[in-house]
Amino acid sequence: MDSTIASPSTPKWNVDRPFLTGRFHTEGKGFSVDSFSAGVDKPIGLYHAAIQELILIDDLLYDLVGIEGRYTSIRRIRGKDDNVTFQVDASMDLALQESAKRLFPLCESYLLINQFVESRSQFKTGLVNHAFAAALRALLLDYQAMVAQLEHQFRLGKLSIQGLWFYCQPMMGTMQALSIVIKKALANNFIGSAVLNLLQSQAKAMAGDHVVRSLLEKMSHHASQAYLGILERWVYEGVIDDPYGEFFIAENKSLQKESLTQDYDAKYWQQRYSLKDDIPSFLANAAETILTTGKYLNVMRECGHNIQVPVAESSKLTTVGSNHRYLECIKTAYDFASGELLNLIKEKYDLMGKLRSIKHYLLLDQGDFLVHFMDIAREELVKKPDEISVEKLQSLLDLALRSSSAVADPCYEDLTCCVERTTLLKRLSTLKDLQTTQTVYSSSGLEEPVSITGLETFSLSFKVRWPLSLVISRKALTKYQLIFRFLFHCKHVNRQLCTAWQLHQGLRRRDMQGISISVSSLLCRNMLKFINSLLHYLTFEVLEPNSHVMHNRLQTAKSIDEVIQYHDFYLEKCLRECLLLSPVLLKKLEKMKFICLQYAAAVPNMITAPTKTEHSYVDKYKKLKLRTRSQTMKVAPEDATTIESILNFEREFAGELQSLGPILSSSSGAEPYLTHLAQWLLGVGRE
Amino acid sequence: MPREIITLQVGQCGNQIGMEFWKQLCLEHGISKDGILEDFATQGGDRKDVFFYQADDQHYIPRALLMDLEPRVINGIQNGEYRNLYNHENVFIADHGGGAGNNWASGYHQGKQYEEDLMDMIDREADGSDSLEGFVLCHSIAGGTGSGMGSYLLETLNDRYSKKLVQTYSVFPNQNETSDVVVQPYNSLLTLKRLTLNADCVVVLDNTSLNRIAVERLHITTPTFAQTNSLVSTVMSASTTTLRYPGYMNNDLVGLLASLIPTPRCHFLMTGYTPLTVERQANVIRKTTVLDVMRRLLQTKNIMVSSCARTKEASQAKYISILNIIQGEVDPTQVHESLQRIRERKLVNFIEWGPASIQVALSRKSPYVQTAHRVSGLMLASHTGIRHLFSKCLSQYEKLRKRQAFLDNYRNHPMFADNDLTEFDESRDIIESLVDEYKACESPDYIKWGLEDPNNHLTGEGNATGTVEP
Repeated sequence: MDSTIASPSTPKWNVDRPFLTGRFHTEGKGFSVDSFSAGVDKPIGLYHAAIQELILIDDLLYDLVGIEGRYTSIRRIRGKDDNVTFQVDASMDLALQESAKRLFPLCESYLLINQFVESRSQFKTGLVNHAFAAALRALLLDYQAMVAQLEHQFRLGKLSIQGLWFYCQPMMGTMQALSIVIKKALANNFIGSAVLNLLQSQAKAMAGDHVVRSLLEKMSHHASQAYLGILERWVYEGVIDDPYGEFFIAENKSLQKESLTQDYDAKYWQQRYSLKDDIPSFLANAAETILTTGKYLNVMRECGHNIQVPVAESSKLTTVGSNHRYLECIKTAYDFASGELLNLIKEKYDLMGKLRSIKHYLLLDQGDFLVHFMDIAREELVKKPDEISVEKLQSLLDLALRSSSAVADPCYEDLTCCVERTTLLKRLSTLKDLQTTQTVYSSSGLEEPVSITGLETFSLSFKVRWPLSLVISRKALTKYQLIFRFLFHCKHVNRQLCTAWQLHQGLRRRDMQGISISVSSLLCRNMLKFINSLLHYLTFEVLEPNSHVMHNRLQTAKSIDEVIQYHDFYLEKCLRECLLLSPVLLKKLEKMKFICLQYAAAVPNMITAPTKTEHSYVDKYKKLKLRTRSQTMKVAPEDATTIESILNFEREFAGELQSLGPILSSSSGAEPYLTHLAQWLLGVGRE
Repeated sequence: MPREIITLQVGQCGNQIGMEFWKQLCLEHGISKDGILEDFATQGGDRKDVFFYQADDQHYIPRALLMDLEPRVINGIQNGEYRNLYNHENVFIADHGGGAGNNWASGYHQGKQYEEDLMDMIDREADGSDSLEGFVLCHSIAGGTGSGMGSYLLETLNDRYSKKLVQTYSVFPNQNETSDVVVQPYNSLLTLKRLTLNADCVVVLDNTSLNRIAVERLHITTPTFAQTNSLVSTVMSASTTTLRYPGYMNNDLVGLLASLIPTPRCHFLMTGYTPLTVERQANVIRKTTVLDVMRRLLQTKNIMVSSCARTKEASQAKYISILNIIQGEVDPTQVHESLQRIRERKLVNFIEWGPASIQVALSRKSPYVQTAHRVSGLMLASHTGIRHLFSKCLSQYEKLRKRQAFLDNYRNHPMFADNDLTEFDESRDIIESLVDEYKACESPDYIKWGLEDPNNHLTGEGNATGTVEP
């Protein structure tokens, strides 16, 4: 027996004689075939056949309750505890011997069953075995009563050996069948659901024998009572009350729900409760349902809601009986639990509101706060990631949020900022479980840019609490963050170009024609167009439609698992369509954004440079009027070099844009959304 | 509070459309006539602080400056139902109250004369905002005050707030009726020069087509000013929705304008709006989908500029950029389909020298204003066809100028003293070059127009003509 289970200490005799069977009686007697009639005067063969019959009946009545008679003995095969055979004195009348041998299997069955009952009543064998043993004990009591009645008949002198045989006949089949079952159970040391499976399969196998079948079914019904009790608590309350580890659902207590908000690879929801291998066959089809039902109830309990499935007396699993009503009950419980939990998460914990808030902040659906934030946090963000004070950023973020439309949103305080250490590309490559469409990032192409600043690594985070962390887990949040970082950087580029645009605007009083400003303003326009188109694609072609679809789906979702599934699907789709899973494209876009930034940074020097050669305002109009511009306004050499450098930017930019075309069109077969992007970026529809 | 915008309403027309604009904003944000937030206006998500600020007693005050040289319109506002809305310190009426007599020069010089008072008001208002994004000027270009004083203000703002954006909503005169203001072409020309040089963006509101729209689309036989003004206020409020109801993009004015305006001078925008109603007039309710709205926006009859003079030239006119602001319950999946459809049907004629496409901004609709239609849309577009409007201004000016008509009124003012009419000539030249630039935009070689063959530059020769015939 399992020594790890500490048993209460008991007196020594309890160890010597572990079971209240007659077995000790036959043990340790130095028992052998010859020592048959140890306490008996003479061999039975010396008696008259009629006497022999009486003696034999008397002996057999003992044998039937597992006690040796004077001329019958129990022989135990050494080494095999459970294998006992009865023997009869060889000198007995042969006819009687035959009769006796026909009865012996019954006696052996009794011994076996009794042994089983006693051994399986021990606490460590589990509830199912206890229940089974109890049912068997009740059966044995009937059996013993029968033997007692036979003895009474015998005392009245009304029992012949044939009579005994006749009366025992009905018991033979059933006891035999039981002993087969028990042998199997003993041999494999079955506990829990294995016992139930055994009983049920045996009952099915004995389908032809009505009596045996109904007996086995009755046994299995009794044996499963305790099991169904555990099941009932699980599906109705979400509690595992399973001291012997028999239930088919295992709880992994090391997985904490807090991990959901911290650990990218949190397995809480998948593995906190899991199915074991030994599922009782009659529950096999419903196992998943049972698992989730309890899981849902459990979540609600963890939220501090003591929810119980309302149980009518008629739907108590333990009283339902063997007709398949219990499946209906489980279904009802499941519907209740899943509806209740969904309701809880949607209504009380306002999942939709949270998702909406996340969309406002991380997907910039209401981007006004970001405009302000970038205004005030600019100086902090241009620093290197290590030098940035996150606290300062946080307070700036709070400031920006408070003065934006976000104030109306109760969730805005859950927004925190963080500064990561690596670029977006690098970060993406570290997330192995994201399936990139192209081959994995080659490590050589991944060297970090020399100077990354907060602008490349800034990200937002959102505090998510249990139980919403089931849906918005760390993993989901990370995906949101990846999208945010991409959008944020695009916004940054857009802002820089807008600033450059504004610089051009300031120079409109100068005559435009033929000087660097006009060249530059066209390039600026093209770059703005590029970044706006990209943002437009990301937001209106990817994020907005997909989230629209997801919201509609969430409205109709039936269970939290569906909610999680839809949400994950949505994020996956967004990541993919935001090109975050195609490193080649992403790298190209980063390169183009980089050119834009370089250009934007160079603009102030390039286009304000000619100011020194510029003539006064009034003079210029005079010239204009006189149409002598070409004579007086020879292009200054520095202007020529400026034009040249602008043209360099333009060539580089146009080159990258051109090379984007083939990439987009070549992969658009597999990824249809790339066609949309191509239309935006390259203006494919422009005839 | 970030990215505030200060509105300057100058002259009779400016104050009228401004008043309508504020009426509309109050309705949309659930602000009562006295500036107090209505009880029902509890849904957040909108940004009132771009255009309003809150006084100590929490009531909302428009960031608006009301300026006029004659008291009639402003007195009307001050005695009207919205009298408590405005900050009374922000009202300027000239002491003499005599107006500008429909004379640009008079308005301009009075502007100069009152500069201190005007700039005091502007500075005070600008100081009251955290990070001022820019100014919006409402005026008409034909009269005296809006055009003259408006021009003066534009120049001054440009000098003093050179880092801030200046956007104008400029009402162009109706060219189909004979105006009682005979010097209209002069005024328009002089104002146009300032609009070209001193504004970052001009939203052109053409009374000719506003009237046409009122007659044709709204079936009003003789549209009143109030009715056309309500069209203007609709456009103004719609074009600011992305600032007031933030979305993915265009949450600041600079972003909004930068995507629309290609080169510093080509900053004149046309607008279109659908479906149109005037003063909640019961209109036929039509089915509105994104595609319907976008398609209608591209129809000339919905565009509030009557720019295309002749069909031959109209066919050459091209869109430089388009932003459609769609408001209402929109299924975002429809947007792409609609754009696709428009692209396939070639409904838009874009410039050929650069990337161009329709941009869409989806915006929330005010929950407090009930409309019969689900979706409405505003188009802001830069279109080369607008040059015909300027050409017309030019030709009308030439007609007057040739006869030397009515110039005496101008000579009385310092700018034109001693018969110095160079200001007219300069303005004419600038408008002409603006027309040329727009015309050049229609050709695929526009990039070269900007560049004028770089090799010439490198050899230092330059271009002798100054314009390029496309």
